[in-house]
Amino acid sequence: MKLPIRLFAAILFVAIAVIIVLSLTQGQLTGVLWDVTVNGRLNTTAINGDGDRIAFGSSSNVLEVYDASGSRLWEFEAENSILGVDITSDGLWTAAASEDRNTYLLDADGQAVWEFKAPRSANNVAIADDGSFLAVTANDRSVYGLDEAGTLLWQDTDGTNVRAVDIYGTGDNARAVVGTDGSRLTIYSRSGQALLQAFLDYAISDLAVTANGARIAVGTTDGTVTLVHGGNGSIVWEASVGAPVERIALTQNGQNILAATNTGRALLLNDAGEILQTFEQDATLMDVAIAGDGSVVAFTTEGGYGQLQNQQLAAAAVESNQSQRNQTVYGAIALLVLTTAFAGWSIRSTDSGRIFWETRTAGPRKLLRRMWRARLSYLFILPTILLLATFNYYPAASGLYHAFTDWKPGVSAEWVGLENFAYLLQDRFFWSGFLNVLILIIVGIARIVTVPLLAAELIFHVRHKTARYVFRTLFIIPIVLPMVVEIMVWNNIYDPNIGLLNQTLIALGLKDWTQVWYGDGRVALLSIIFIGFPWVDPFALLVFYGGLIGISDEIFDASRVDGASGLRRFWHIDVPLLLGQARMLTILTFIATVQTFELVFLTTGGGPGSATYTPALELYLMATRLNKMGVASAIGIVLFVIILAGTIFSYRARREPAV
Amino acid sequence: MIAKLIPNRNQLVILAILTILFVLVFIPILYLIILSLKDNGQIYGRFWSAPNPIRWENFALAWEVINRPIINSVVASSVATLGNIVFASLAGYAFARHQFPGKEILYTSILALLMIPPILTLIPEFVLLSGMGLVNTLWALILPWMAGGQVFSLLLFRTFFANLPEDFFDAARIDGGSELQLFWYIAIPLSGPIIVTVAIIRLVATYNQYIRPLLVISDPQKQVVAVAITQFTSELGVTDLGPQMAAYIVATVPLIIFFSFGMKYYVSGLTSGGIRA
Repeated sequence: MKLPIRLFAAILFVAIAVIIVLSLTQGQLTGVLWDVTVNGRLNTTAINGDGDRIAFGSSSNVLEVYDASGSRLWEFEAENSILGVDITSDGLWTAAASEDRNTYLLDADGQAVWEFKAPRSANNVAIADDGSFLAVTANDRSVYGLDEAGTLLWQDTDGTNVRAVDIYGTGDNARAVVGTDGSRLTIYSRSGQALLQAFLDYAISDLAVTANGARIAVGTTDGTVTLVHGGNGSIVWEASVGAPVERIALTQNGQNILAATNTGRALLLNDAGEILQTFEQDATLMDVAIAGDGSVVAFTTEGGYGQLQNQQLAAAAVESNQSQRNQTVYGAIALLVLTTAFAGWSIRSTDSGRIFWETRTAGPRKLLRRMWRARLSYLFILPTILLLATFNYYPAASGLYHAFTDWKPGVSAEWVGLENFAYLLQDRFFWSGFLNVLILIIVGIARIVTVPLLAAELIFHVRHKTARYVFRTLFIIPIVLPMVVEIMVWNNIYDPNIGLLNQTLIALGLKDWTQVWYGDGRVALLSIIFIGFPWVDPFALLVFYGGLIGISDEIFDASRVDGASGLRRFWHIDVPLLLGQARMLTILTFIATVQTFELVFLTTGGGPGSATYTPALELYLMATRLNKMGVASAIGIVLFVIILAGTIFSYRARREPAV
Repeated sequence: MIAKLIPNRNQLVILAILTILFVLVFIPILYLIILSLKDNGQIYGRFWSAPNPIRWENFALAWEVINRPIINSVVASSVATLGNIVFASLAGYAFARHQFPGKEILYTSILALLMIPPILTLIPEFVLLSGMGLVNTLWALILPWMAGGQVFSLLLFRTFFANLPEDFFDAARIDGGSELQLFWYIAIPLSGPIIVTVAIIRLVATYNQYIRPLLVISDPQKQVVAVAITQFTSELGVTDLGPQMAAYIVATVPLIIFFSFGMKYYVSGLTSGGIRA
């Protein structure tokens, strides 16, 4: 007894030591290549195409350019702070915008080739890759287009502050992309012609464009990075980064976007808008830059600190820290299991221990033996359990939990309590949707228990056998129409110009009655309700028809003897006996209608205004357009509770069936 | 035949109402067919005239742009349905005819999922699929569809297997059949009707799904037909109405085929009278 325990203690000691050493060595890896510190703020930074020229501009009027290894190549001193800098992708030319109102073009040795003076401070500059075209933004709210000799080509003023500028293309095909506080995005040709204009919803703080001009990454003050299609100005995607975007940088192919927020955090996004990586700095970030090939990233801070990081190494560091943490956890678990097993084994190796073991574990062991004998049964249900656990239980639990968080999938899920629900309370689209769904539920239930029942009764009472069969079949045929097709056809029927409805009204001489059916807030919901008119739902029809068949002939015969026929029979026999079917259809309709989505998404899109919103539509838009995953989850919970309550209520309200 | 009907005024009224209902039900379908055979000039210029000339080529164009989504739909729905049937029948069999520890707890916890609406799991499931790297693949539809119908299918299979006479199984057990053989050689051959019923329900339900594919598939090449036919102008570049309408009809064909095989089971399943709450 003594020996195993001592041995056990020794093993435990060694194992704990190993874990401590393991956890001490973790977190050593970072991506930082080198860093610099200057006096004052490091306002701005830029990196060339392959990451071997890195420029830092500071509030102490100095622009410094470093090579990849961190040795300083040259420095240039202006008469005031350097506010903006850009380098050609070959690193041969550097352009600097200064608070001294000058824009300087510097050659490969840091010598000023020329300078251009604006009426106010130049706050940012961009240069074409062949150095033949420059665009300067200045505090006089103007953009200046310059040629390679520093001659003014054109000037444009928006009337709001402008600081976001970038250039793509070379020679005569060079284009300047400019974004303003007035949220206007403009692409200018070399000659100053505005080729494209687009408007975003918030002030543009910075932007960057790919080398071919296909994509423009725009940062706005609402904390969104928007990827804009360079060809037509449409929005490709929007990603929320949680805090107002200060500066933005982009690789030449647009694969990676680096966005600095005003919280000192920079996020690396991929070309789908997913956040790949987060960089934290201790001080407020002034600017970020990324090499054209994405190999290195640079940060400058308010404290005059500049840093170059290898992007791959930084990513690897994050990953390896993660995996080391995992290793520690697994190590600890394995140790726990080993310890327990060893303890069990050492107890069993004594006589009294064995007796103790056998008496105390008899129950569980019997259960285990039974389970082992039934292993085939478990094997039978295993695939189902796995599928349900992954795609039903887990998402349901996840939705429940994340409804109480500010959920940014893959990044963070901050607990916010009831905030998402409070948000819904003051969201007029949600309330409007709520009301609309209530109307849709009432109408939906009212029509599913009437029209199909009427049709079923009528068909059931057709005396001619063939006619009865033909009618039953004809009314079921529409079941083959996919719901989406039905909605699309009705969209066409409601078309204001060539729709069947308006054309029929015109043909009947009722031109005054024609409408833009989806366009008027008072008619839109009614129009949606009338989709599928006359609402002979084949499923409900069959259910009622089956119910009628199920009512035994004796009851019919008895009723006939009693003189009940026609309507009397309908009210006193059929309706009570079909209550079960009606209740089932009511529940199914209720559950489906609470989740109404396609019916409004494909017709009015919720409009006009909020006239035809439904909560499910709001959920979809919250998740896809506004990136409010937490609020979307909260809507899911609300709908779930409504469905649960409605279903329980309907079962509680059920009286015992008459037969 | 008509002579038999004429004397009865009630019968005439019934037939008249049914005929009116029938006409109303079929107006949109007829409208769809007529538009599908016209070109834009005929629709905008001569709204009320019959298609002349009949534009059969609308269907050729529709097929050209929609065949890929239709194939995607059929593949995704079929694979999901097949998996659904295989797994639900296995589990339904175990729950119906086996005894094992934890059976009731497991069954109840599975049935509880009937209360969870798809809208609740939609967003978390999308996040999960993104994490798995399955977004923009057909697996992002197949796996959730396979899981989504499991509960109801399992319920149907369990009820069906539980009602099979024990004698069949005893006889086979005496002959030395293993549990797997009992399932495969006794239970499955008897369950043709229930398999067809489940298959129809699942095929139709998945083929009609809209919001899930809309969310998890953005590549037009991978899109299913229910979503594709709503994105003619934006993704497929078809602006003429005729071919769009033709595509709606073409998109219906797989459902017509599903139903022509299973309509009999579907109708008898619903009209056998047992359905009520």
